[in-house]
This record gives sequence, structure tokens and C-alpha cells, in this order.
Amino acid sequence: MTEMRATSAFCTIVPPHLLEQLARHEDPEVHHSARHSLALDAEHRDCRRLAIRSVVVPKPTLQPADSPQRTLYDARHHQGLPGIEVRAEGDRPSTDASVNRAYDGLGATFDFYLKAYGRHSVDGAGLPLHASVHYGEGYDNAFWNGSEMVFGDGDGKTFKDFTIPLEVIGHELTHGVTQYSANLTYDGQSGALNESVSDVFGSLIKQHALRQSAHDADWLIGEGLLETGVHGRALRSMKAPGTAYDDPRLGKDPQPAHMDHYVRTTDDNGGVHLNSGIPNHAFYLLATALGGYAWERAGRIWYDTLTGGKLPAGADFATFAQVTATAAQARYGDGEEKRAVLAAWAGVGVTPASHSSSVPHQSAAPEGAESAPQG
Amino acid sequence: MYIAVTRTGGFAGITRKAELETTGRPDARQLTDLARAALTASRSPAPSGAPDAFHYEITIDGTTINLADSEVSEAGRALIQAVLSQDKS
Repeated sequence: MTEMRATSAFCTIVPPHLLEQLARHEDPEVHHSARHSLALDAEHRDCRRLAIRSVVVPKPTLQPADSPQRTLYDARHHQGLPGIEVRAEGDRPSTDASVNRAYDGLGATFDFYLKAYGRHSVDGAGLPLHASVHYGEGYDNAFWNGSEMVFGDGDGKTFKDFTIPLEVIGHELTHGVTQYSANLTYDGQSGALNESVSDVFGSLIKQHALRQSAHDADWLIGEGLLETGVHGRALRSMKAPGTAYDDPRLGKDPQPAHMDHYVRTTDDNGGVHLNSGIPNHAFYLLATALGGYAWERAGRIWYDTLTGGKLPAGADFATFAQVTATAAQARYGDGEEKRAVLAAWAGVGVTPASHSSSVPHQSAAPEGAESAPQG
Repeated sequence: MYIAVTRTGGFAGITRKAELETTGRPDARQLTDLARAALTASRSPAPSGAPDAFHYEITIDGTTINLADSEVSEAGRALIQAVLSQDKS
């Protein structure tokens, strides 16, 4: 029932008239949440109005299905969205490989979040998944526009089709998960954390699909995306940030792996795709220290951090680190996991913030608060 | 007319920059027209944009505008393509 939250970053996804309807529902679990939300409504009206402008309001589903609702569109090389519908849920495969890769990738991502963490789609409430392929002309990018995924074909010289790596699809959809949970501000360190969380879960989605352990995984982001002749394996390496490519045309992978090399820049919202290397590597250190499937304990700690309601939108690395340690202790006690979390952050030069300095400046309710458990 | 384009952001996080001077070019008239149209169509300041979206900084004879990818006009897109194609990377 997470769609009825009124206090989280996306307090706005259910319109008031619908809350009123739900408040009259005979099921106590339903009406309790709705009544609680309505009580908070006036207090959060500004937040509601603000977010409604930027977020597509999903159709609420009282009992989210355990299967995805996918729709694929072909932008036909234009930049209007979404384009023409080409494959809906349950349709037979298209003759277009990009459509089928995106469809399968959305499915693998949905499957991952449900099986690993009991989460139903990006919003936790069964949000239908929409994606557009063949966006623009030779377009070297993929992005999440706040309500759907968008993929370019690449220019065919440096980049291939952005639907090729599963971790790219997982990365983009995880921007949606972040939007509906901690809603990390896309600027500076919180922006680098937003990027890093997308890389972490993007990689875990691939590892989950391939049933790879932390030690078997490649920890690459954008593997298979670079055209033949480009000197590089991928766009980013979580195992060894700064080593993914070194090419005469692209230059050298500029990602730092340690706070000593933190990049100060105003480009790219303060280097969100550069400094993400630091928390990326911290996650890699944690996952390989714990061993086994990385989505199990390491991923669970990161997922609890992102969705637990204790992470402020403007969190810096130190605050994020402190919340991961708290999340590790809450789920696994004061043991191996928490020690490995602290060692991982030490390994990248981040000292977790003290409790007193990391209190969120605005309250964020944990997902699932005042509601039935997910899954 | 001096025109410079910087593209930042994007999933790859790779910045691209290119510049040109229209004087003496066979397509000078076309580029000048595109640049004037791009300036007219632009608004400022740049919005924060979506995660992984491209951002552009376009300088035309000392005037600089910042645009999110979703805000680029048709003229702006043609101009960006023309200028960035100067850069062979």
C-alpha cells in the first residue's frame, strides 16, 4: 500500500479525491493508510502540488501483481515521447531486437526487485513500465525522464544501441526506484549517490539474471556498449573505477575510487557520473568482503538504506555511509555485515557521519509505513 | 560569428566540446540563421533535467545559454549537431 504514503518524498502520487475514496474502503488496511494520508494532506499540500507537476500519477493498484505491465514504444528516430506503441505485455516478440531487449530487460528488472526485496515495480505499487527505443538520430544516451525509460541507438561509431547492456536498463529503472524512495537530489554528492545507486542495482540486476556471485561478476557498467575499435570494456568499473576505458577519442575513464581524488566540477551537476565511482567502489568492497550473491546481504543493506526513510534527499557520502551502517545493524545486528560496511567506507576514504549530524532535515517516512507489508 | 557547444551529462558521463567560426565557411549563412533561431527559442536558466539527460551550453558571440536536452528547439538541435560534428571524437 505504499502508494498511499503522504509523508515520503513522493507524497503526491495519489490525488486527494482518490484518498477520500480509499478512506471509505471497508478493508482497515486500506482505509487506515488513506485516512492517515488525508490527515497529513494539508500539511504536505505544497509538496504534493510540486511533485504532481513532475511525476506522472500512476494508476493505484490495491494489490500489485507479481508480474510486470510493460509497454514498448518506437520513437522512430524522433525526440517526441513516447512514440508509437509496438509491444504490450504478453505480446509475441517483435521483429525489432531493440524492442525485445528492452522488453526483456524491463522484465528482468521487475523480477529482480520482486524476488530480492519484495518490491512491486519502481514505485513499490505495481507502476506500469514504459520504455521508448530508437529515440533521436544516432543518439548516444539512455535516460529516465521521470516516468519512462528512453533509449538511443548510439552513433554506430563509438556507441552501440543502449538497449544492449542489461545493467543500463536496470540503471535507468533504478532512477525510478530512487525517485519514489529517497529521491536523492541530482546534484553534487547526493547526485553522485543517485547515480551510484543506479549503477549498484543495475549491476545487481545483471548478476541476478546470470546467477553470478560477487566474485564472478564483472562489476562493469555499459559492458558491450562500446563499438569495436574503441579501447575499453565498458563505461564504468565498480571494481576498479578509472579503468573502464582508455581511448584516443574518448580519453581515459576519469572516475575516482577514493575521496582523495574526488572531482570538483560544475559540469554534469557537479560530476555526478564521476564521483559515483567512490560509493560504487565502496559497494564492491562490501559485496566481495561478504561474498556469495551480492544482492543478498550487501544489496539488502543498500536497498534498506535507499527505501528505509532515514536517508535525506540531500545526503552526502558521509551521511549515506552512516545510514548504511545503521541499516546493516538493524537487519543483521552488530556483526560481520556492519563491520564490513564500515571497512568498505574506510576503503574509499569516507568517514560515516555521526548520528547527531545526520538527522534528516526533513522527515521521510519509510516505504510501507502505516501499511501492509510488501510482497 | 563564433559558436561553441559543450555537451555534458548523459549516461556515459563523457563531455564533448567543439567550436567554430562561421567566417569564410560555405555554410556560414545557414549556421548563423540556426544560431539566431536557437537564441530566440531558448529560455533561461536551465532546468535541472532528468537523470542521465544531456545538458548543453551554447555560446554565440559572447552570449551563453544553458539548455536541458528536453528544451532544445529544432534549430538548436541542428546547430548542436553541426558544431559537435567538428569534433571528430
